[in-house]
Amino acid sequence: MQDDALALLARADIRFNGHSAISRCLISTDDSGEYRAIFVKPADVPVYVEHGIADCGIVGRDVLMESEADLLLPLDLGIARCRLVVAGMSPGQIKSKGMLRVATKYPQLTSEYFGSRGTPVEIIRLSGSVELAPSLGLCDVIVDLVETGRTLQENGLSVIDVITESTGRFVVNRASYQLKADSIARLLNALEQVANGVAA
Amino acid sequence: MRYYVGEEARLRRRVEDTAMSVFDRWSYEEITTPSVDYYALFEHGMGITEAQRAFRFTDQDGRLLTLRPDVTSSVARAAATLLSDRPRPLKLCYAAPVFQQQSQSAAEWRRENTQLGCELIGAGDASADLEMLLVAAEILSQLGLQDSCCITINHVEIFNGLAEEFSLDANAREVVRSLIDSRAIPELNRFSSDALGCKTFADLVHLKGKQEVIQSAQDLVSNARSQRALMAIAALWQALETRGVSDLFEIDLGDVSSLDYYTGLSFKVFVSGAGSRVGGGGRYDSLIANFGMSEPAIGFVLNLDSLTDVLSREKNQPQITQIHTDLKQ
Repeated sequence: MQDDALALLARADIRFNGHSAISRCLISTDDSGEYRAIFVKPADVPVYVEHGIADCGIVGRDVLMESEADLLLPLDLGIARCRLVVAGMSPGQIKSKGMLRVATKYPQLTSEYFGSRGTPVEIIRLSGSVELAPSLGLCDVIVDLVETGRTLQENGLSVIDVITESTGRFVVNRASYQLKADSIARLLNALEQVANGVAA
Repeated sequence: MRYYVGEEARLRRRVEDTAMSVFDRWSYEEITTPSVDYYALFEHGMGITEAQRAFRFTDQDGRLLTLRPDVTSSVARAAATLLSDRPRPLKLCYAAPVFQQQSQSAAEWRRENTQLGCELIGAGDASADLEMLLVAAEILSQLGLQDSCCITINHVEIFNGLAEEFSLDANAREVVRSLIDSRAIPELNRFSSDALGCKTFADLVHLKGKQEVIQSAQDLVSNARSQRALMAIAALWQALETRGVSDLFEIDLGDVSSLDYYTGLSFKVFVSGAGSRVGGGGRYDSLIANFGMSEPAIGFVLNLDSLTDVLSREKNQPQITQIHTDLKQ
């Protein structure tokens, strides 16, 4: 996500040359001096923006849906496209059980999805390498983000159902949207133009 | 949960005094409402969904009690009962803590907030709308926030008129409302082209700014209900310009957050330094009828704790001294 986002910003002539993937610098000012970027973990992006520490953010729709943050979502950047899926060893697994054990990094979305289908589930929260869990017997199925599906295959898993699609979203703090309206509109416009170029 | 001690407590008190003295100048009388009241009161007042954020407990006879989650509901009940014989308009103000459960991630994490508020009951004309905005603007100016604040105004009938024009059912209406509220333009475009074949609702989000918004909005809405609301906003804007305070205001037709509560003008207050809004209000002409007496009403609240936070973080201390000397005069 970060590489895609930086590439997109660069196409909109907002370059963070001071920042490189290797450096541990987490705050960087762009070459024009107009924008300051903060690099944080995906799940923390909605937090920084909701509190108004950052005026805007770029974050995956999956992270937004999982968080309860109250943010404005004016633009789909179309970057880092992926799917949130239910995956398991065999496609029938989702129906056969009285109680399904699901391992995931997305407990909120998982409980919403199975709740809406009326399937009783026990949600096991993991923070990484979720695709290992079924073969080790921790769970029946997993809910995880999939880009190409190769990691799933390598672990003997296949997609049972697609819950939702996710792309990088541009998010804005509610107060900043009003108080810094001009700057945000300008950034929004610039990003909209390059993002539409991506989609085309 | 938080304490205020020493300098911060003094600042907080000064902010409260400033607001109360502005209310006083506009002839608002102070009212103190019960801290503990029947839960049913707030279901009638705030609506069932909003009232659910209240902390609840039971009385000895099993009836449901609550710590007040807002003051307006109690004031509305008083207006329809205790104060029903008083001449109108009734002008009431308060500085009182309210208690609400918060979702864990909410930026406004405090469960206890002190509201500085006023209610103007029994006046349904445009001058009452204007008075509310002027009172709010005066408090912010007195606090030295006139250059760092923004009050956004909207009229709920603009959206309601459009929803009626496109015959949105209750579900679709709520979907569109929440998409507009979070300015989710991609989803709005998709919804609009699938269900309605037009981009009207997505365009509504862009209608934000000063007077020029009214012209653009007139090209967008054709139904009579929305047009009427738009005319009301236009007249209000004109009045704000005449008073020389339009710098503090913005029109934002994309603000549709409390549609079911308000019946006319609605507005929100933002101050730089606070990540979320610090206040808001609007017209709620159908509220007092819930307590047995139908009459128009309008009001607003400012969050004392948010304002104190912003001011105490501001390095610019002289502004705060200024408030102090104003009050001594």
